[in-house]
Amino acid sequence: MSAASRPSQAPADEAGAEDHSERLAVLGRVAGRILSIVLTLLGLLLLTFTMGRLLPADPVLAITGAEVNKATYDRVYQELGLDRPVWEQFLTYLGKVLRGDLGVSATTGHSVLTDLAHVFPATLELAMVAVVTGVLIGVPLGIVAAVNRGKPIDHVARIIGLAGHSVPIFWLGLMALLLFYAKLHWVDASGRLSVFYEGMMEPVTGLLLLDTAMARDWDMFRDVVSHIALPGLLLGYYSVAYISRMTRSFVLEQLNQEYVVAARAKGLSTFQIVWRHVFKNIRVQLLTIVALTLGGLLDGAVLIETVFGWPGLGQYLTRGLTMNDMNVVMGAVLLTGTLFVTINLITDRLYKVLDARTR
Amino acid sequence: MRHIWAAGLALALLASTATAPQAASPPNMLVIGTDLSAVPSLDPAAINARTVSEVVSNLYDNLVQIAPNDMQTIRPMLAESWTVSPDKRTITFTMRKGAVFASGNPITAEDAAWSIRRVIKMAQVGSTDVALWGYTPENVDKFIRATDERTLVVELPEPVATDLVIYSLAGSSLGIIDSKVALKNEKNGDLARDWLKGNAAPSGPFSLIQWRPNDILITESRANYWAGAPAMKRVIMRHVPESGSLRLQLMAGDIDVAQYVGAGDLEALAKEKVVIDQVPGFGFYYIALNTKDPDLAKPLVRRAFQHVLDWKALAQTSMRFAGYPWQSIIPKGMVGAPANPLPGYEYDPALAKKLLAEAGYPNGLKKKLFPSGPALLQNTEALQASAKLAGIELELVPGEHTPDFRARNFEVLMGNSGARLPDPFGTAVQYAYNPDNRDAAKLGAYYLWRVAQEAPELTKMVDQSKAETDPAKRKALFEDMDKRYREMDPGLIVLFQRTDPYVIRANVKGYFGHQTWSTRWASVTKE
Repeated sequence: MSAASRPSQAPADEAGAEDHSERLAVLGRVAGRILSIVLTLLGLLLLTFTMGRLLPADPVLAITGAEVNKATYDRVYQELGLDRPVWEQFLTYLGKVLRGDLGVSATTGHSVLTDLAHVFPATLELAMVAVVTGVLIGVPLGIVAAVNRGKPIDHVARIIGLAGHSVPIFWLGLMALLLFYAKLHWVDASGRLSVFYEGMMEPVTGLLLLDTAMARDWDMFRDVVSHIALPGLLLGYYSVAYISRMTRSFVLEQLNQEYVVAARAKGLSTFQIVWRHVFKNIRVQLLTIVALTLGGLLDGAVLIETVFGWPGLGQYLTRGLTMNDMNVVMGAVLLTGTLFVTINLITDRLYKVLDARTR
Repeated sequence: MRHIWAAGLALALLASTATAPQAASPPNMLVIGTDLSAVPSLDPAAINARTVSEVVSNLYDNLVQIAPNDMQTIRPMLAESWTVSPDKRTITFTMRKGAVFASGNPITAEDAAWSIRRVIKMAQVGSTDVALWGYTPENVDKFIRATDERTLVVELPEPVATDLVIYSLAGSSLGIIDSKVALKNEKNGDLARDWLKGNAAPSGPFSLIQWRPNDILITESRANYWAGAPAMKRVIMRHVPESGSLRLQLMAGDIDVAQYVGAGDLEALAKEKVVIDQVPGFGFYYIALNTKDPDLAKPLVRRAFQHVLDWKALAQTSMRFAGYPWQSIIPKGMVGAPANPLPGYEYDPALAKKLLAEAGYPNGLKKKLFPSGPALLQNTEALQASAKLAGIELELVPGEHTPDFRARNFEVLMGNSGARLPDPFGTAVQYAYNPDNRDAAKLGAYYLWRVAQEAPELTKMVDQSKAETDPAKRKALFEDMDKRYREMDPGLIVLFQRTDPYVIRANVKGYFGHQTWSTRWASVTKE
């Protein structure tokens, strides 16, 4: 390389170095994010494991029943690895998790992974119906309340929203069953599918609305709707209060901004201001609210699941807790933790799509 | 936003097109609403709980059976007949001719021997009863064997009343499995343990179609069943954890039989046109007093506790469908059970106070009170309230305390028990047997050990009752045992005999809850 050519090559070198360092920075950010996710999940598992060991319940009796003799008790105790030191039990568990083995549930006899593959789609389907319901009712309700602040319609919106949130959902579920199932015969009461349809279709996604629609089995599809309608709508109604109250405050905040005053001065109607300008500005905040609601629902809504015999994650996890079935608790916590992290990641990405300032 | 409204409209349309649900289950289908949340296995050798016992009893037939309305008579099932040797140490069963498994394989004596030996070899909870007769994984091959295709020889390692042995063979854990099918699915010599958890190789009237824990279990009747196909083509067990929902579904006819209905809903259902079958169980509700506690070690203090619970009030409320007043360790109607069901412990706070004063506690006593589990909470609250009037202050600690009970880490506890053996020996061995009172012995299966009470005489009598074959002597033995138990101011104060309520729609006939939990569906019809 001649000395004369150096100056002309310098900008290209600089650009290359910049590219390189930018790539390194991106890689660093990705690695950092992955590390933080792994550490979060590890911490979650460690905490859950420790708490499980501090519980006074006996996992052996969950399997054997209370009347078991000593020989059988001791054998099950050893099979569960409870004779090993706690740290060793945790490390063994971690090793298995890394190999994709979440252990076997003491209360169902299945591998936790198989159980989760069954209960999670049930919860996901219910949560999706609930979130859609919550958004469809909650967002318009919040906007209408904000626009009509202090007027009777605002109070009505508040009552509708708060009633859903403050009446115990367990009681609401039973009352809804009494009315829509027992009296009006509009819906079914328990489970995801009528017993007559059980075993008639091999699930593909586990989301029965989707599976039956894909199979074009519209009778079964209607049966699925008849089962999910009540728990889904009730759970959605439950989230209406949160979504509508938050929407109301976001809209009110925007309505006090100068650009709204300017828009009014330009002669735009309230409807146009809200839909064209305000709504655009609260999209990111709304997204946070919806993501939080979805995250909460994906934990499983144990009370609704219990009332409607819905075989979802909430019931599975609660049962695991009460029976001290630690593999179930750890597996479900790991899944829930991963879901929260995933929802956070997706929400972060969506922020960037919706709001140029965050790019 | 327009899209959101469109989606909303679509959902509303969807809901409006939902079919009106079926009004009632079809006439050839039985739907049982129950609790399927703690069924880890469908393997007979691994079960001892109520719901799963019912399932297994319909997938697998036993050598013999006991009818739900006559607990004393042993009837043939897969064994057509049996004889007992003169020295009463060998039972020889002749297998039913022509009976086949669901697979079509003939049911042979070798299948029966394999199934029974398997229960002993696996040493899981299913072996609890039959292991009492001296069988071990090492000796069982020698004592239980098939001599030809239809002859099964069951020898006894030690002297035991042969009726007791035959009773235990009627238990749901001793169902006869299709050994050929099971062995095809054996992995690493596990005796098909893994496979039989979620599959079945049935000899009984029903085959397993589908099983999802916490959700649903579906069985279908077998056309090639030796006694003919049952009237119910399908029997479905559905997990309905909420009692109110269970009640609504029962009244709507979506469910034919409801199990584990809560007390409040049972009260309401009692006014409807349904049958509430209160099946007496072989177990009791009791107050347990840990005699390792220096205060509770005093017989006078324990006697005071016999008079501190207002059980008559409980019998009208929380215990109305869960049990009936009973203060003997021999279940009602069994050999040696007292004719008078209420021989003693009246609620008498003044007497309890007096007894406590005599024991050296004129100012009363303070103890921690545990319910064995959440289901017993209401009873413990009642005890707490009524004991206060007798000067006993009980600090109630809610939660799951069965492990504490088994580990002797408690002061006062209320719980209930269950047993599957339809003989007084089954409850006597729980309540009056403690062969080694040391902590290190860890005999948590025996309640008397749990309360740390030594009773060498009673323990000897329980052993005697196991071997005694003369009916009159046996009766006298159990009566004597019951009397002595009461006289020692026991650490276990029995107050109720348990009942398991089954709610059955009026159009369902032939469903009888079984005292040993082997409820069978083959006789069920619907009108």
